[in-house]
Amino acid sequence: MDWKPVTLSPSPLDQSWYEASARARLAGLLDADSFQEFIGPEQRMMSPHLPLFDLPRAFDDGMIVGHGLLEAQPVLVAAQEGRFMGGAFGEIHGAKLVGLLRAALAVKPSAVLILFDTGGVRLQEANAGETAIAEIMRAIAIARAAGIPVIGLIGGRAGCYGGGGLVAGTCSRLVISEGGRLSVSGPEVIETNRGAEEFDSRDRALVWRTMGGKHRRLLGAADAFVDDTIGAFRAAALAAIPAAPAFDLATLQAEQARLEARLDRFGDCADATEIWGRLGVDDPTAVPGLTTEAFDALLDRLPEGPHHAR
Amino acid sequence: MTDWCQERTAREARLERARAHADGKVVPAARVVDLLEAILQPGDRVCLEGDNQKQADCLARGLSACDPARVHDLHMVQSGIVLPEHLDIFEQGIAKRLDYSYSGPQGGRIAKMLYGGQIELGAVHTYLELFARYFIDLTPNVALIAGVSADRDGNLYTGPNTEDTPTVVEATAFKNGVVVAQVNAIVDRVSRVDIPGDRVDFVVEADKPFYVEPLFTRDPGAVTETQILMAMMAIKGIYAEYGIRRLNHGIGFGTAAIELLLPTYAERLGLKGKIATHWALNPHPSLIPAIESGWVSQIHCFGSEVGMDKYIRARPDVFFTGSDGSLRSNRAFCQTAGLYACDLFIGSTLQIDLQGHSSTVTTNRVAGFGGAPNMGSDPHGRRHPSDTWMKAGREAGGTGDPALRRGRKLVVQLVETFGDKLVPAFVEKLDALELAKKLNLELAPVMVYADDVTHIVTEEGIANLLLCRTLDEREQAIRGVAGYTEVGRGRDHAEVERLRARGIIRRPEDLGIEPLDADRSLLAARSIKDLVHWSGGLYEPPAKFRNW
Repeated sequence: MDWKPVTLSPSPLDQSWYEASARARLAGLLDADSFQEFIGPEQRMMSPHLPLFDLPRAFDDGMIVGHGLLEAQPVLVAAQEGRFMGGAFGEIHGAKLVGLLRAALAVKPSAVLILFDTGGVRLQEANAGETAIAEIMRAIAIARAAGIPVIGLIGGRAGCYGGGGLVAGTCSRLVISEGGRLSVSGPEVIETNRGAEEFDSRDRALVWRTMGGKHRRLLGAADAFVDDTIGAFRAAALAAIPAAPAFDLATLQAEQARLEARLDRFGDCADATEIWGRLGVDDPTAVPGLTTEAFDALLDRLPEGPHHAR
Repeated sequence: MTDWCQERTAREARLERARAHADGKVVPAARVVDLLEAILQPGDRVCLEGDNQKQADCLARGLSACDPARVHDLHMVQSGIVLPEHLDIFEQGIAKRLDYSYSGPQGGRIAKMLYGGQIELGAVHTYLELFARYFIDLTPNVALIAGVSADRDGNLYTGPNTEDTPTVVEATAFKNGVVVAQVNAIVDRVSRVDIPGDRVDFVVEADKPFYVEPLFTRDPGAVTETQILMAMMAIKGIYAEYGIRRLNHGIGFGTAAIELLLPTYAERLGLKGKIATHWALNPHPSLIPAIESGWVSQIHCFGSEVGMDKYIRARPDVFFTGSDGSLRSNRAFCQTAGLYACDLFIGSTLQIDLQGHSSTVTTNRVAGFGGAPNMGSDPHGRRHPSDTWMKAGREAGGTGDPALRRGRKLVVQLVETFGDKLVPAFVEKLDALELAKKLNLELAPVMVYADDVTHIVTEEGIANLLLCRTLDEREQAIRGVAGYTEVGRGRDHAEVERLRARGIIRRPEDLGIEPLDADRSLLAARSIKDLVHWSGGLYEPPAKFRNW
């Protein structure tokens, strides 16, 4: 495994994205003091469902939306707080994101940034949550069709699972870190339904090599792999905005073709390392230990270039 | 005429019977049961090496496969009851009586078997106590031990987890006992002789390497902000004030937080070189950042830790290592060091009562003591002064000529007011008393007695029990840091404020600590991977701690 000195820097940009709260991520990601929140916690727009289950509510329902500047460009942002109910989508939580995406049509920002940190739909308000997922995906498609890039940033404790994984799949570009995981069914869900032989959710290395940032980047599901710092996410978000593809028939056909080819090529692989081997990685077992620099160098060396579909 | 050599003659007879199953000293794994049935006699005192970490598991499986008609009524004398086989043999009738120290994962089953009368209990010991009794009245007739490798003469390499082995062998081999070692490999030449071959009678090449549990690894990713706050208070309010340089840490997340704050928070307080330089400690991965930042002069270890071998080999200035480069640990010596040569023990517990007695017992588990009571006690045999020890002694007060007063070891309990599943850590009455009644134990299993505890640190503050002059003050000092538990809410507010004015209770703000500053960004490492990076890739965490 490669190693790097651990910094003890106090700069906000050097702080861990994975460790930070949703609000701290936004504060570090955007230009200093540029963030303005819509429907802030002072409005106490809370879940109407959780009290039925005797569960505590959050004043922001775990979703922070607003606008700000990224290197002086106006952006709309949404950040999920993974520490409140695992960042799960409920009625208010989802509605805030839908509203933000719809507002993008009027505001015309340089991009909408979604800071995912979610286990999926909130079970206590599942119908409202599932509906929200559908509405969000539709709103993203409409925003993208209007020429507004929607960039997903994935690196939180809860990962990006369930409906969050579906929503991420509709974004123009995805940035992911090692700590981030991107999938629809989570490890425990797979184990519960198919048994530990199929997927041992306690095997952390297995979880990360199957759902983690490096694998998603290698497969082309994510477009950039970054260090777990707020500064690295900021830089990657800036780079992703101009790289967002047009949302047209050609892009969608290319994406469909890419996914079909991927399934043909790797469908019979039992483990991520087999996929990496077929991609031309010489030493697949070394991949999880690579630093970001070494991993980027590996991506450059691979026979196929980076995927630029979607 | 008196026969003064009956034991030796008996030993020769055992060896003679056993030799049929051995090639010289070497016994194949498939013959273990034959070997043990040949050596063991009913009623034997047997140490089946079960350490904190290293387990003689092949011999344990062999023992539990013995015919109870031939091998029965054994008296087991071993520090750890860890593997299922350690208790199976009681159900099978192979063993009958038990003297031990620590039962960790088997604590629940032991309680049931004690209650059901399947185990005749001698006593639950601390490590040093059981080791001491090996030389007085619990000397093993047969020791079944574990090592990494052996040569054909029985010279044994125990590897980094030497742990209890030298003590067990010393007591057995020099008192006419038989020593059988399981090893992972028979080699032409061992890399270092930890146990000389003339103390080992038989060597079994095990069917698979002995089991080692990573007991001392705490994932920095799971350290909470409450634990960080408590660690900040301990560092500023205790380590800095008493200038604690020689110390032992328990294995909880609170002490891991202290280790991870040394290169950051403690460094900012200017404490480097002034505290936490000399340790009796297992090689905790969470201490790597402090070691790498130059905080630590040296560490003596009870045992090793999975994944730390390469790192330890590369840091011989810090660790005790053999001529082969690997760690040499020794539980008996390190426990003694922790008892006599350390000025502070800090650890966690499950329950503290109004006097300050603490216990890790719950009503349905007998987890045993291990080494915490040895280190978490004030050794009255100590005679060398240190500034820390003398300051604590002065605080404890007393009358007469100061030159005739002893110092005090600092024994600190680091506990969150509510533990796992919001169970209160402060109670009116310890569950240990209930358990003692249920199992007819003469002594309630108390981990650290009240008269040994000097400080209690919770998220609400520090209670300095040394400064309490009456039992009432002591009770209110404890209630005064017990937060919103029943015990905490039962405090006399005016008395608690008086104690605070006297510095007996100190809140974070009294120490100049802002609780909102207790943030995970203060941790020198926030993940296992950070620890690997700190170690320059030398630390190799076991799979269960990796997410890569």
